[in-house]
Amino acid sequence: MGTAAIEPEGSMSDPQPDFSSYAPPPSGPVPPGQPSVWQAPTRGPAGPAEPVGLVVDDVRRSFGDVHAVRSVSFHAEPGSITALIGPNGSGKTTLMLMLATLLRPDAGRIRLRIGGAELDPVAEPLRARPLIGWMPDSLGSWANLTVRQALESTVRMYGHPRAVAAQSAAALIATVGLESLATRPTRVLSRGQKQKLSLARALANEPRLLLLDEPASGLDPVARIELRELLQRLAGEGRTVLISSHVLSELDEVATDAVYLDHGVTASQDAVAAVRASARLWRIKTLDGFALGPALESIGVDPLRIGTDGQGFTVSMTDEADAAAVLAALVAAGVRVSWFAPASGELERTMQALQGGGMA
Amino acid sequence: MSRGGFGGGVAGGSGGARAGGFAGFGGFWRGVGLIVGLELRQRVRGVAWYVILGVFFALIALVTIGVAVLAGGLGSSGGTLFSSIVFFVLLLASLISPALSGNAINGEREGGTLATIQVTSIATGQIVIGKWLAAWIASLALLVVTVPFLLVAIGIGDVSAATVLSSLGILLAELGVLAALGVGLSGLIRKPLFSVVVGYLTVAALCLGTLIGFGLGGAVTQTPYTQTTVTSVYNADGTYTCSDVTTSTYSAPRFDYYWGLLVINPYVIVADASAGDFDSSGNPTNVFGWIASGVRSAQQAPETDRYVDYCTDGNGFGDGFTDDGPTAEELLRTGVPSWFIGLALQSALAALALFGAWHATRTPARRLARGSRIA
Repeated sequence: MGTAAIEPEGSMSDPQPDFSSYAPPPSGPVPPGQPSVWQAPTRGPAGPAEPVGLVVDDVRRSFGDVHAVRSVSFHAEPGSITALIGPNGSGKTTLMLMLATLLRPDAGRIRLRIGGAELDPVAEPLRARPLIGWMPDSLGSWANLTVRQALESTVRMYGHPRAVAAQSAAALIATVGLESLATRPTRVLSRGQKQKLSLARALANEPRLLLLDEPASGLDPVARIELRELLQRLAGEGRTVLISSHVLSELDEVATDAVYLDHGVTASQDAVAAVRASARLWRIKTLDGFALGPALESIGVDPLRIGTDGQGFTVSMTDEADAAAVLAALVAAGVRVSWFAPASGELERTMQALQGGGMA
Repeated sequence: MSRGGFGGGVAGGSGGARAGGFAGFGGFWRGVGLIVGLELRQRVRGVAWYVILGVFFALIALVTIGVAVLAGGLGSSGGTLFSSIVFFVLLLASLISPALSGNAINGEREGGTLATIQVTSIATGQIVIGKWLAAWIASLALLVVTVPFLLVAIGIGDVSAATVLSSLGILLAELGVLAALGVGLSGLIRKPLFSVVVGYLTVAALCLGTLIGFGLGGAVTQTPYTQTTVTSVYNADGTYTCSDVTTSTYSAPRFDYYWGLLVINPYVIVADASAGDFDSSGNPTNVFGWIASGVRSAQQAPETDRYVDYCTDGNGFGDGFTDDGPTAEELLRTGVPSWFIGLALQSALAALALFGAWHATRTPARRLARGSRIA
């Protein structure tokens, strides 16, 4: 191919492509007519890559007499980060496999909503797959390939030419922070590094729908924070993110929606709303030590709502307005409040309450 | 739902994330090529593979020297050497191929990387065909290593171009069949160890089982024949008369019922297709000819009436079998060629295995073996 025919990608239609998202701009020239995988999605929802919503309706799947997923219904909107929450064996991974077009549901409906149209990923997996990025909970990688080769291979498996794959792989490596290991075979990676490679692989085709199965396991605290920021950036670009994790406190910080799963059944909206509306423990710390107890009673808090544990005082609040009122009264009474927050994460509390109260 | 609208939206888009894919005939083979490249880099091209090739080279060298010494002592030619090397490649390939290709698909599933291919635009057919071609290409390395020795054999002489072309062509096809069987079984059977074992059993059934079945069947199914023997009686004056006629009943094995078993034997297929070189007295100049004429002589039913005359060939000391029987070359000319039937049957078996692998590996998966994981 003559080099004279090569011009920088994007010059044809977009003089100033916005590469401010997680994907750095392609550094080298790309042959015309072979669009970079990075280009379109970074233009945001107005760009040619339309956002993809996910609708799951009464999906079931059993393996013999094991009913892994009995009835799952939810929907995830573009730009949202939906947490998939449930104990071990609740059917999270089976659900992820069905959404990733690897496993066929026994019954029910899975649809990708693209603009006004719908796509059935079960009936047309080859059309759905380029839109979906899946990060499995297992850590398989091609042991003899380098990190760069593995990612290039994955990008090319979406049909992209070699030049595009090389640029994409470099960008993906930078995104997940594996630069120093790019030329090492993947077999030398640690668990956390393999997790990063797996995440990069899931992002290989600039997916509009991201399915992340336990993405944070094996990551160190810094990497977890980076992952959280990355997910927020991806959602900000109009992508739909579905994430399962056992570490609920982490999901709490990023998730915009939550789907509670127990024994293969999603909790109904009503059940979740009821649990959320129920009273909740808040932890209060002051500089005044045990003076807090009398202070609470003096501002009119029922002593039955006040508890103590190893870390100090807790107060049962009916809702956030109640909490705000208590805080205002305490401050007005001259109590030097240094900590005032829910005693447990929202997701954790909801899951525990749903499990305890039954999800039927 | 309005798939048309969706399709239009994607097709009309000015590129982006979903540009790409593997549309059309060229696209399909581009995807297959990716899998071949990945397979060769990931699974085949390792230190162990080069060690195997090195050992193989040394073995071939030993075989070449051994056959050359033997054949030279017997006044034979390059044909024996050439055919021996071809058979040795086939032997080694049938020993290595099941191990090499027998875990191509289920091994990758166990390693957790198969699903990461299946979620891309690569279709199941591209995975299966790509892995088959990669296994085939890998076994071709065995053939490439032997090229110097084949050239030596051809240089010695007495190897016709037809024999070279047909034997190498059929050998190539046999390597493809072996690779397809291994890859097919690795898709059909979940456990890598089990599929490798079944692969070896299949190869053993083709190579040894057909021979055993042929031998046992022929031995068990006997047919009676009568043999009339004329002997000479010496008189006191030194003359003799051909008077004594004895008739006995024996039984003969009916190999003609069972020669069909040999048709699917890889060695017989190579030999049957490549047997064309004979010397002036009708004897084969290579191993192919001996095997092929042997198989074709097995096609003939034994005679039910035999007449052995030890007398009339002149002096009373006759050796009985005055008719030397047909030469190997005559047997070959009169027998039924069978290599294309065998190759067709093997190809059908290989295609069936690959189809089964495709069927079992398709996603979204409908059925899963108990306890197996797909990711």
